Amino acid sequence: MKGGTGFRIYAMVYLVFLYAPIVLLPMFAFNNGIIIAFPLQGFTTQWFAALLDDPPLHDAVRNSLIIAVSVSILSTTLGVFAARASTRFNFPFKGPLMGLIMLPLVLPEIIVAVSLLVVLLGLGVSLNILTVILGHVLVCTPFCIAILTSAFQSLDRSLEEAAYDLGETPLSTFRLIILPLVMPGIVSALLISFTISLDEFIIAFFLAGTQATLPVYIFSQFRFPQAVPVIMALGTILVCLSILLLSIAEFFRRRGLARSGAKDTGGFL
Amino acid sequence: MTEKPTMPGPTMIEFRDVQKYYGDYHALRGITAEIRAGEFFSLLGPSGCGKTTLLRTIAGFESISSGVVLIDGKDMAQVPANQRPTNMVFQSYAIFPHLTVAENVGFGLRREAGSREDKARRVTEALEMVGLKGYGARAAHALSGGQRQRVALARALILKPKVLLLDEPLSALDKKMRENMQVELIKLQRQVGITFILVTHDQEEALVMSDRIAVMFEGQIAQLDDPETLYRRPKTRQVADFIGTMNFLPAEVAAQTNEGYSVDVAGLGRCEITEAQAPGAPTGGPASVGFRPETLTILYEGQTTSDRVSEGTVEEVVYYGDMTYYDVKLDGIDTPVRLSMRNLPGRPVLDIRTRTRVSWSPGALVLFR
Ligand SMILES: Nc1ncnc2c1ncn2[C@@H]1O[C@H](COP(=O)(O)OP(=O)(O)OP(=O)(O)O)[C@@H](O)[C@H]1O
Ligand SMILES: [Mg+2]
Repeated sequence: MKGGTGFRIYAMVYLVFLYAPIVLLPMFAFNNGIIIAFPLQGFTTQWFAALLDDPPLHDAVRNSLIIAVSVSILSTTLGVFAARASTRFNFPFKGPLMGLIMLPLVLPEIIVAVSLLVVLLGLGVSLNILTVILGHVLVCTPFCIAILTSAFQSLDRSLEEAAYDLGETPLSTFRLIILPLVMPGIVSALLISFTISLDEFIIAFFLAGTQATLPVYIFSQFRFPQAVPVIMALGTILVCLSILLLSIAEFFRRRGLARSGAKDTGGFL
Repeated sequence: MTEKPTMPGPTMIEFRDVQKYYGDYHALRGITAEIRAGEFFSLLGPSGCGKTTLLRTIAGFESISSGVVLIDGKDMAQVPANQRPTNMVFQSYAIFPHLTVAENVGFGLRREAGSREDKARRVTEALEMVGLKGYGARAAHALSGGQRQRVALARALILKPKVLLLDEPLSALDKKMRENMQVELIKLQRQVGITFILVTHDQEEALVMSDRIAVMFEGQIAQLDDPETLYRRPKTRQVADFIGTMNFLPAEVAAQTNEGYSVDVAGLGRCEITEAQAPGAPTGGPASVGFRPETLTILYEGQTTSDRVSEGTVEEVVYYGDMTYYDVKLDGIDTPVRLSMRNLPGRPVLDIRTRTRVSWSPGALVLFR
């Protein structure tokens, strides 16, 4: 029991350190004062109202959503192909090729961003949403591959063979058997890449040109003290949205597990 | 239930010198065999001998390096697995976990013409056939091992294939369940009349279930025969050893006679052995003879026999309830021989170190090269 108490205290401190700042977010979002400090000044919703009346912010949100949705679909699709290929087939240079694709996972993002910028400028490509999407796909695809590889790996090969044996084509086998069974992995991959893209800063900062994304916009607003509570309000909304999104994803994951009767091995929640 | 045809049916599957390489590894080394329509055929052999590989070449999951596989007279070289008249029951059953039992069983009907009602009726019939009536709406993952096995069977049989392939379908079940399923499979096969090809490494299972058995070692068929011939007249020591227990004694072929061979067996003396008892066709010189434990009989006080008799000492006693196995060291033979006796009333189990007389008949010996 002695070791238990020590560990419990450690866990507590850890959780407080992790989540206290997030609790502060709504606190100051509803605080009637520009300065972020205690004591609180009274309740207000004016910062939320200010969000509604901020066209550059709306542009940034729109850009970010377009980018995040495109990136999650693109990198998950690429991830499905890569994961399927690497788990089922053998081809020459498989190891080095997969390593190359996974490389952005460990490369410093600033290096990726700068080199992309140099190349794009060298090619004379104008910087906009598209270039950010390209950059984000580069860093999100490895995550998707990692998630999807484990999903594809846990598939019993004889399931495919059984479907094929019963007269289906390779394509219809993929649609009827493989896809439904890796669906939880696909949902996870979509969500994770969406989240990564949505809050990615460095690449967006370098490659966005004049079309700022949400993180870039938030960063730019910190120069103005009166904008800080507005950002707190924005942050509160984002936290609520993330929790909602993750809950939905977890719901689908558990339902997928229950339907296929697999054992729950944790997932990302 | 229809009677099994006693006449061999027409050929359903034919292998002509089938070779299979996995890279450098020679997995199938010249398989030539015929499997008849409507028979229950088993591929038996130790782990890694190529049973599964051979089965998968029939299903079309494995391409062959050279040779020919014919199903119902047609060369299968260009026919992919999804167009072959075969269906397979996988070792892991491969039940689709996201579908219901009925959806699993009816999966193969998706591509068939026919009304929805007609297909539903066929699914119901198939479920009934395997004793799963009323299970259609169940989630497939909520089934026991034995039930999964039945679903896999129903799913494969619903398409009325010419050949049903079964890769160790019973190995995941416990002993009792396995024995039940063996009987059920035999009944089912008689009922549907489809050619069944079973892969197993369990010799007892193969003997119980099969019309004919191919015993495989290292990518080759060592012997292909009906269970009784395989058991009583194994061609090689390897086959004899793999199927049941066999005692071996060194021997010398003294002369080849009109009826067979005159053989000097170590410790047993001169024996006349017929041609039929030497399926491996020895040529003379050093050889060995084998005999099954049940062909030796312990003679109790006062019993007489017209068979030949040897004396020896009991070295080991293994009691099985209905049977007792004895290791008896016969005079003049170095290694003890194993024999088995039914435990009948008035037949006491002997103790270790008892002197005893053992009767045996030259007609039960098998001569090996
Ligand atoms: N895809 C493969 N690549 C390389 N070697 C293989 C492959 N599949 C099988 N082998 C080899 O071929 C040999 C025969 O395999 P096979 O699966 O047919 O054996 P088996 O008789 O079914 O054995 P078991 O009773 O263990 O299932 C084995 O030595 C195995 O290692
Ligand atoms: Mg096998």
